[in-house]
Amino acid sequence: MNAPLRKLSELSELSRAKFDGRSSGYVPPKKLSISPRLRLHRKWDRTIDPVTFEVVRHALWNVNEEHGATIQRLSGSPVAMYALDLNPSILTEDAEFVYFGPYMQYMSGVTDTQVKWTLENRSENPGIKDGDMFLANDPWVGAAHQMDVMLLCPVFWKGELFCWVTNCLHQYDIGGITPGSFCPSARDAFDEGILIPPIKIVENNEIRRDIEELYLRSSRKPAAVALDFRAQLAGNMTARDRVLALIARYGAATVKGVMKKILDDGERAFLKKLARLPDGVWRDRTYVECCRPGDRGVHQVMLTVRKEGKRLVFENEGTDPQAGGINATYSGWRGAIMVALNELMCWEQYYAVGGALRHVDFNPTPGTLNCADFPASVSTAPVQCMEISLYPAYNVLSKMIHPDPELRRDLMCIGGTSQWPATIFRGIDQWGERYGYILVDPIGGAIGAFSHADGISTGGQARTPICKLPNVEHTEQSFPVLFLYRKEITDSGGAGKWRGGLSAESCFIPHGTERIEQDTLSSGNAIPTSTGMMGGYPGAVNRYRFLRDSNVAARMGLSDLPADIDELEGTAETLQLRQQDFVQNPADVYAVLWSAAGGFGDPLEREPARVAADVDNGDVSMAAAKEIYGVILKNDGTADGDATGKARDAQRRARLERATKPEATPRKLDGKLRFLATDNLAVREHGKALHWACAGCATDLGPLSGNYKERCARDDRPIETSNPVVGDPGRFIDPLPAFRQFCCPSCGRLIENEVARAGDPVLADIALQLK
Amino acid sequence: MTYLVGVDIGGTFTDCAIVDAKGRLLTTKVPSTPQDFSRGMMDALRAGADALELELDAFCRSIAFLSHGTTVGTNTIIQKKGAKVGLITTKGHEDAIHIMRGSRGYAGRDIRKVVHFPETAKPTPIVPKRLIRGVSERVDCFGEIVVTLNEAQAEAAIRDLVAQGVEAIAICFLWSFRNPRHELRLRELVKKIAPGLFVTCSVDIAPKWGEYERVTATALNAYLGPVMSGYLARIDRTLTDLGYRHGLQIAQCGGGTVPVERAGEAPLLTLDSGPVAGVTASMFLGQAMGDANIITTDMGGTSFDVSIIQGGKPAYSFVSNTDQYEYFLPKVDLQVIGAGGGSLARAHPETRTLTVGPDSAGAFPGPVCYGRGGTVPTVTDAQLVLGYLDPDNFAEGRLKLDVAAATEAIAALGASIGMGAVECAAGICRIVELNMADIIRKVTVEKGFDPRDFVLYAFGGAGPAHAGVFARELGVKKVVVPQRKAASTWCAFGAAAADVLHVLEHTEIMATPVPAGRVNANLERLEKQARKVMKAEGIAGSRQRFEFSLDVRHRGQINEVEVLLPWKRLPTGYEAALRKMFVARYEQLYGKGSALAGAQLEIVVCRLRARALTPRPKLVRARRSSAKIPAQALLRRREIYWPDLKRRRVTPIYDGERLIIGNRLRGPAIVETADTTVVVHPGRTLRLDPLGNFEMTFDR
Repeated sequence: MNAPLRKLSELSELSRAKFDGRSSGYVPPKKLSISPRLRLHRKWDRTIDPVTFEVVRHALWNVNEEHGATIQRLSGSPVAMYALDLNPSILTEDAEFVYFGPYMQYMSGVTDTQVKWTLENRSENPGIKDGDMFLANDPWVGAAHQMDVMLLCPVFWKGELFCWVTNCLHQYDIGGITPGSFCPSARDAFDEGILIPPIKIVENNEIRRDIEELYLRSSRKPAAVALDFRAQLAGNMTARDRVLALIARYGAATVKGVMKKILDDGERAFLKKLARLPDGVWRDRTYVECCRPGDRGVHQVMLTVRKEGKRLVFENEGTDPQAGGINATYSGWRGAIMVALNELMCWEQYYAVGGALRHVDFNPTPGTLNCADFPASVSTAPVQCMEISLYPAYNVLSKMIHPDPELRRDLMCIGGTSQWPATIFRGIDQWGERYGYILVDPIGGAIGAFSHADGISTGGQARTPICKLPNVEHTEQSFPVLFLYRKEITDSGGAGKWRGGLSAESCFIPHGTERIEQDTLSSGNAIPTSTGMMGGYPGAVNRYRFLRDSNVAARMGLSDLPADIDELEGTAETLQLRQQDFVQNPADVYAVLWSAAGGFGDPLEREPARVAADVDNGDVSMAAAKEIYGVILKNDGTADGDATGKARDAQRRARLERATKPEATPRKLDGKLRFLATDNLAVREHGKALHWACAGCATDLGPLSGNYKERCARDDRPIETSNPVVGDPGRFIDPLPAFRQFCCPSCGRLIENEVARAGDPVLADIALQLK
Repeated sequence: MTYLVGVDIGGTFTDCAIVDAKGRLLTTKVPSTPQDFSRGMMDALRAGADALELELDAFCRSIAFLSHGTTVGTNTIIQKKGAKVGLITTKGHEDAIHIMRGSRGYAGRDIRKVVHFPETAKPTPIVPKRLIRGVSERVDCFGEIVVTLNEAQAEAAIRDLVAQGVEAIAICFLWSFRNPRHELRLRELVKKIAPGLFVTCSVDIAPKWGEYERVTATALNAYLGPVMSGYLARIDRTLTDLGYRHGLQIAQCGGGTVPVERAGEAPLLTLDSGPVAGVTASMFLGQAMGDANIITTDMGGTSFDVSIIQGGKPAYSFVSNTDQYEYFLPKVDLQVIGAGGGSLARAHPETRTLTVGPDSAGAFPGPVCYGRGGTVPTVTDAQLVLGYLDPDNFAEGRLKLDVAAATEAIAALGASIGMGAVECAAGICRIVELNMADIIRKVTVEKGFDPRDFVLYAFGGAGPAHAGVFARELGVKKVVVPQRKAASTWCAFGAAAADVLHVLEHTEIMATPVPAGRVNANLERLEKQARKVMKAEGIAGSRQRFEFSLDVRHRGQINEVEVLLPWKRLPTGYEAALRKMFVARYEQLYGKGSALAGAQLEIVVCRLRARALTPRPKLVRARRSSAKIPAQALLRRREIYWPDLKRRRVTPIYDGERLIIGNRLRGPAIVETADTTVVVHPGRTLRLDPLGNFEMTFDR
């Protein structure tokens, strides 16, 4: 687990083994192989005055924004308008990002690879010319999943390829065995939507009808897909015209110079951040449940980031082999990681990550869950293996930037809906028409805790920063359901010095119909996927609740609505994570809670007054305040300082009494404090060596070359203690997960938690390489 | 002599515009009084009376129409100074106002920062969870009651909230816009249990589809109610005591006014009413000038507001946001960016880049040249360095500007990125002007309009200084700086020019084909309601004007467009005509070919804009004009830097008040009026038109 850094030349991305976008995901080489028939515009000004730069930069940003607005206006589909499942980009001639948009962040990471593949594979035959556009959705070339259809538009100036404008928009349906093309029971990609490697659908500014008909033919909703295609086309044309207008006004060398300077400035800012951070390796381990109906196994996903000087390398080594219908391709994995990279380390570049990417490598292991080989099923990637690739990236990057006090303020714990608990339902609606839908509510998510503030309750999913969930009244108008409630759930937010955001639960009964047919599709119901960080606890798991033959009608008749499904009588049924075709009758009550956000730091360090305010606001229960936070409240609801101090001391003692202690007798270090590797873990000098130490009491946690966890007191607790909403994992999976707590052997301070299967080795989450 | 009076209370200044029966215009500007805004209003009126050499009561007696726009509501929200509100809602849905549709309220914030989550927390709740009570009751999407109101729970909830000391109660139940019975019953119970307590039902303020935006509108209205109704009643009483007899009108965001009583019940309507009055004024002037397509731009110290008038009608929006809260409110659409005279300029030496805004120095500490402790240079400082502003004559000489301090600050900023002071100042202006051009593109091109078909009206204290640049950038035909000295008090003028307006809405989602009778019954009900309201306000039938519209969309799609009806009632077989109007409007807004041919349509909202015509200010067209510029109009000559010429040049400075109709100036020139500076760059011509507006045109 603690392997030394490999030489960069050994990385598979650089060796370009078989990652050609056909059997394995396409990994672009450092130097693209482009046909000489395609001339690239490569002349640009190196010195641009600050005013021209700012004016053109602002205009380019607006070009991209107008591009996104054009797609939304023309499409008008709920996908484009509510879920904002789209993203426009501008890239340089050689496919470095200048800008992408604030919409679906996944889509950024899958854009440049598709343009690069097109440059390599289409520049000779059929050629890339002025007035062409390419349509693409092949996840092995670079889409997240088949429904994310891209339209790539080269922009030419005087016969040379000047830059690219592109967009990506999720389509209603492009074929496959399930309406909507989201195919949870697919055996492989042949059961899923049509796969289209980049094809020239627009030639010399004309739509090629033959290609368009081929594209639309496999869709169940060809009219909607055709309209969306026109929206994408208009978006690209708008952006292309505006770029050309900028060139006409300011000159090609200036506009290109601005693009390159945006990249160079971003690169410089990124390197400046890297220079402030120690070299090292940071790891995280998460699990996906239920890869196909009936599966009770657990599938491991590993993420490693290595920082070596000016370079970051992401790896997925240790991830389990591809399986069932949960996989993602290389581009999905890379796109997921780029979301966290942008949000934590490049946010001030305003979506210009191209400069940073010059120093980031991705080293995939093929055939794995998140770098699956053809023809694995990948249509559910964005809600399964891309989520599970993304959220650990918040952890590893947060730990990487923590040593720097300023960058620390940008870190973020894992947010809510870290796996999507899908509610797929269908039938005849209250208007007499056939319908099929996936409940969008989990997009309400939750945002993870920060190093200096609480997370944001129902603050959305971090990967789609500007989406909105539909109002209950919107859902009830369109579908035959009546919501008994949609509410934030007490204690769902991960406990910590800073608390994770709460998530919410939606609960409905059929209304205006006799029956609703449903499927579930979820993971993260047994093992929390929004793990906390640096002593913070996990947020709530996903949870389905189903009560058959309830007394809800009687309660409604008495005008006495329940505040929770638990207040009703009926027969509780456990829904499995890929349960197919179960029927909800009017007396049956269905509720779905989406996972909440992780907490930051030891909950016993949380200011008691904040816990009191949480209890007052219903964010934390009295029981959790006492048991997890060790806060004793007075009758007036305020915290009792003395009693709390005593209760917390007792809890720390109890931790140590329960725990397995390290062999070495604890001793204090008095060497100089170098920095805080985490909120609880210091790096101190000890003679000529560097050691890990408790950030609270300076107890020695061993030399830097070792895993600090081995010198901690280890307390393995049932997973149910990690969050009040976590229930018996045995309902869904066979392996037994545990909540491992690693404490300072002297003072009992919680250094770190781990959520792991019983037999899994202790994770070496941090290994620093200091000089 | 009788007068029409408009007053606009802003955060910094209270403006007053007075028009007499002959069309003569007088404006006053006094400091606002945030402790009690009504004092500033009376100060402004007193200043007007003084200028007319009248006693205040004599002046008030001769006012024929007094209308008042205000930012008090907006300020109350931003400063969190509203009432303690209790909210009663459908049991199980208490958290809707906190969940905020999972969006954190990014609308109106810097979109570039939405991925930096530490900066995107939700706002402080208008109503904390402990003051929200759920009550058992339920209406479904058909408007049918599926759970009757539990009155015992309702009464307990009210008593409980009253015991907690709430100052207002908001009531919002699911689907109440389809069946308001439970909300209305609850209001009765509140009135019974706590008579005198401010209470708002969602059906009264926002009968629209979507509980988050509706409950927010309701809660905000309750939050503003006690504050605003008290202040408005005070003004009303004072004016009545002074002898004003015609009923105070309050400017509202829909582009008209409402009587003070209605504003007291529905203070939400006053949000943004100040800036909207500027659009109303522009529409009024546009009618007189024959300009049907106008881009209005209002630039003050901190923000730049843009709106569109097309075919003589303003663009409307139906969802608004203030301080991250999103809510239903039918209003004139305004796009706001943080670009004003106070926008801060920053240099980044490492990358050798220069940025301006969106953050602002505001009025305090303000620009460096104000000498109030500001250290970061602003757009105003840049203008001063270039010579556009007169340090001794800024804001009618009320504020002396410190040129040396501004120059020093900008020189230091420039030096850090290798630019001279003047070059840097010119750069700051250019950046902010092109940012403005970009925002105007957003409200025109992105909504299907071509700016070249528009005239641009520039007002607000800082607007006319920049309009000559951003307007040319957009390719508009010409710029109008309205009514000379009124340019900086344009919103007050707009309040005086506004009609009484009531916007009534009925929301019911009806998929076509729908019988005309079903829609007409709704239109009928709205008209009846409007007639009743107006009758109670003493508005004679002959003054009433009704305009009906429908919000229509493709079934299964999101974009709703408002279709103005050419009929009072739908004729039988109306569908083909409605579809045609819908498609035309849809494609205008969303682009050719964007309408789904053959798709089923859905009517979502029936709307009535009921207006009552009020006395209008008279715009007098000058009979005589002269090209000869009076000698006394030339104030002085000053060295000014002109970026187009890339050098300083001795430039004439004119007094706008002394120029006469028909005068024509070639740039470069500067024209100063009270509170505004019109910068005429080289390549532009400024003319004083027969109505007394400055009109700027561009050389080909």
